[in-house]
Amino acid sequence: MLFEAQGISKTFGVVRALSNVSVDIERGEVHAIIGENGAGKSTLMGVICGKIPPDTGRLFRDGRECAFASPRDAQAAGIAIAPQEINLVPALTVAENIVLGAHQVGGLGAIDWRATHAVAVRHLHEIDDTIDPAMPAGQLSKAEQQLVQIARAAATNANILIFDEPTAALTSRETEKLFRFMRRFSAAGNSIFYISHRLDEILALSQRITVLRDGAFITQLDPRTTSKDEMVRHMAGRPVLPAAHRPLTAIAEEVVLRVEGLGRNHEFRDISFDLHKGEVLGIAGLVGSGRTELGKCLFGVTRSDAGSVEIFGERGMISHPADAIARGLVYLPEERKQEGIFALLSIRENMGIAVLDRFRSLLGINFAQMVGEVQDYVLRLKIKIGSQDDPITSLSGGNQQKVIIGRWLMKRSRILILDEPTRGIDVNAKGEIQAVLHTLAREGLSIIYISSELQEVIDVSDRILVMHEGVGKGIVPAAGTKQEDLLAIAME
Amino acid sequence: MTSVSSTGLAKRANWLARFRKWEASGVLIALVVLCLVLAFMAPAFLSQYNLSVVARQASFVGLVALGQTLVLLIGGIDLSVGAIAGLSAIVGSLMLTQTGINPYLVLPLTAFFGMLLGSINGFFVAVLRLNPFIVTLASWEIFAGMTLLITRGVPIRPLGESFRIFGQGSILGVPVPVVIFLAAGAILTFVLARTRFGRNVYAIGGNKEAAELVGIRTARVEFLVFGLAGLFAALAGILYASRMDSGQPSVGEGWLMGAITAAIIGGTSLKGGQGTIVGTVLGALLMAVLANGIVLMNVSGYWERIIVGAVVLIAILVDLLRRR
Repeated sequence: MLFEAQGISKTFGVVRALSNVSVDIERGEVHAIIGENGAGKSTLMGVICGKIPPDTGRLFRDGRECAFASPRDAQAAGIAIAPQEINLVPALTVAENIVLGAHQVGGLGAIDWRATHAVAVRHLHEIDDTIDPAMPAGQLSKAEQQLVQIARAAATNANILIFDEPTAALTSRETEKLFRFMRRFSAAGNSIFYISHRLDEILALSQRITVLRDGAFITQLDPRTTSKDEMVRHMAGRPVLPAAHRPLTAIAEEVVLRVEGLGRNHEFRDISFDLHKGEVLGIAGLVGSGRTELGKCLFGVTRSDAGSVEIFGERGMISHPADAIARGLVYLPEERKQEGIFALLSIRENMGIAVLDRFRSLLGINFAQMVGEVQDYVLRLKIKIGSQDDPITSLSGGNQQKVIIGRWLMKRSRILILDEPTRGIDVNAKGEIQAVLHTLAREGLSIIYISSELQEVIDVSDRILVMHEGVGKGIVPAAGTKQEDLLAIAME
Repeated sequence: MTSVSSTGLAKRANWLARFRKWEASGVLIALVVLCLVLAFMAPAFLSQYNLSVVARQASFVGLVALGQTLVLLIGGIDLSVGAIAGLSAIVGSLMLTQTGINPYLVLPLTAFFGMLLGSINGFFVAVLRLNPFIVTLASWEIFAGMTLLITRGVPIRPLGESFRIFGQGSILGVPVPVVIFLAAGAILTFVLARTRFGRNVYAIGGNKEAAELVGIRTARVEFLVFGLAGLFAALAGILYASRMDSGQPSVGEGWLMGAITAAIIGGTSLKGGQGTIVGTVLGALLMAVLANGIVLMNVSGYWERIIVGAVVLIAILVDLLRRR
């Protein structure tokens, strides 16, 4: 046994994040850890990589007990993590980010830049040989940054790597690169703890699957004999129903949003579509297709330089999100942490922040009056919360996302643009969010659903706009369309 | 029976937890302890005369600190507040001595002038998106230089009998500057807690990108905040001139650090998004009581800055422990 964690428990405040969980890993093994958000996966990995001190439990390396006071100790024991969040230093080069804290030192204690660079490039090329190591990390795409983080973890010369949701930001091409690296890495006798919500990946890559739920060990599965259904069942603790499609004919004639020939330099050009009342229009496109830029432009974050936009039959300048919101069009951003939540504010205020005016009284804003309406959306969106006064950061990613959706529902918006609404969110929360969207669409809400997960776009949309490298490649009905069809349209 | 007492206990525990979480709890405890110690060791501390001197002393820097707190809350900083106080005091003094203006109008007019100066900062920071540290470092120099240019270093005095009441008079035994300071604190507390502008201030300081994306016009809020910082600084400056019956070119010197210190020991975060007006008011009082205590205890005045520095360090250490 290369590494073993026994009986790990950890409590944050009143939340029991882990209770008596044990896992181990063999040499050359890829061990997948699955579970819904809040199941304790990241906490468990935090303990293993020395970031989180456990309340109880013991760690064994090669059968000898060890204790990690910091990630440095864990690295010395050959364990490194590539975290889910990007934490590169944007102004430093890719190479320097990879060797950060482990520069090659020459005579007189000065950094030997040539040797440092060589080490970094070697590790980078293990994973990707198209990224320029001399480029500032901040200029790379999110996906490339993710790959650099993985190279950085590998550069610690660890023989146990922890990957926390590495593919969430990756396109299929980059995912392939990562998988090739993982196969080579484990074939060389090294081991990987792998966390992912993408169950196909797990079936294809791992030798063992551990399921966690609510901080407890549930079961261990063998990827050769298990199925996605079985995994989901164990993760959720109950069967999950797939969302049902509805016929295209149910969509109203009324056009709520008409976009004609819209363009913005270097981002996208000549985009045209109609969005009908009660319709879900999917926008499918890979990273770099301009889908996020289009969404932000419609919302008034940036200004278009060609074409026109009509909202409810009205043209007119949208030069700030406030203009769009006033006309009933809202946008849920892709980067939940940086652009969506207010980490210092409560759950209630995070949801009600766009409608403060509605609760104005003689004595200012009456937050107490807001409680009832917030509670309505908490129930409707099945948000798991303790108290509305708790900080939003006490919630899991999926529940935070639901709070932000609730924010726009409270605003009674009529056109909702969702940008990657289910990224990094577990299967169950994903299903719940999609079910709610369907209900809302039936009630007349028009939705633009942006996602890089092609199957997801097909599942939730009525029609799909395919974008590729800033160009609209066509609109197809979702029913009967397969992923391959969308790819074919994109590549045409 | 047991259930009743246990809910009572739970309520008390809840109250205690909320007190611990409150940003200003540390400064409140420190202020109470310091006052008790002084009352015990130097009975003169509690005399009405001494208390009103301390409170008045606190109110000048305190007013500046109120505006600074707003700026810190949106994640900015205003280095020019002391210079705005000085320049406004001079302009107000000139109004009094050079024109036949009604003295009661001088206070609001000077405050408005300060707001204009603050708006200049606001324009560069909010509209042109320049770094507030650099912008206000430059405007600090410019405003301070204008003060010297106008006065040539010579005080403008006297300001006249009827104007002195703002700095020297009192209402029901409470000095006028203290009344203005506490009233301004009360109004700002309400504004920050219960108005959209106030909540937007916290939202912008906490996450400016997200604030834009929920439709908050962040530039307008920032502009107004810098304007208000100028307004409160000018108010402090002209009240101080009234107190001294003299528009001195040195008004406002040292107020910048005092204002930031009061805000920080009151629990305001330099990163923005966190802090309270109550904390800043208590912080300003704590600083004044400290200075007063040094005098009353016959400690050499040369110790004051060392002690203030130590208090700031202790305050942030306490804050660190509170967050654990």
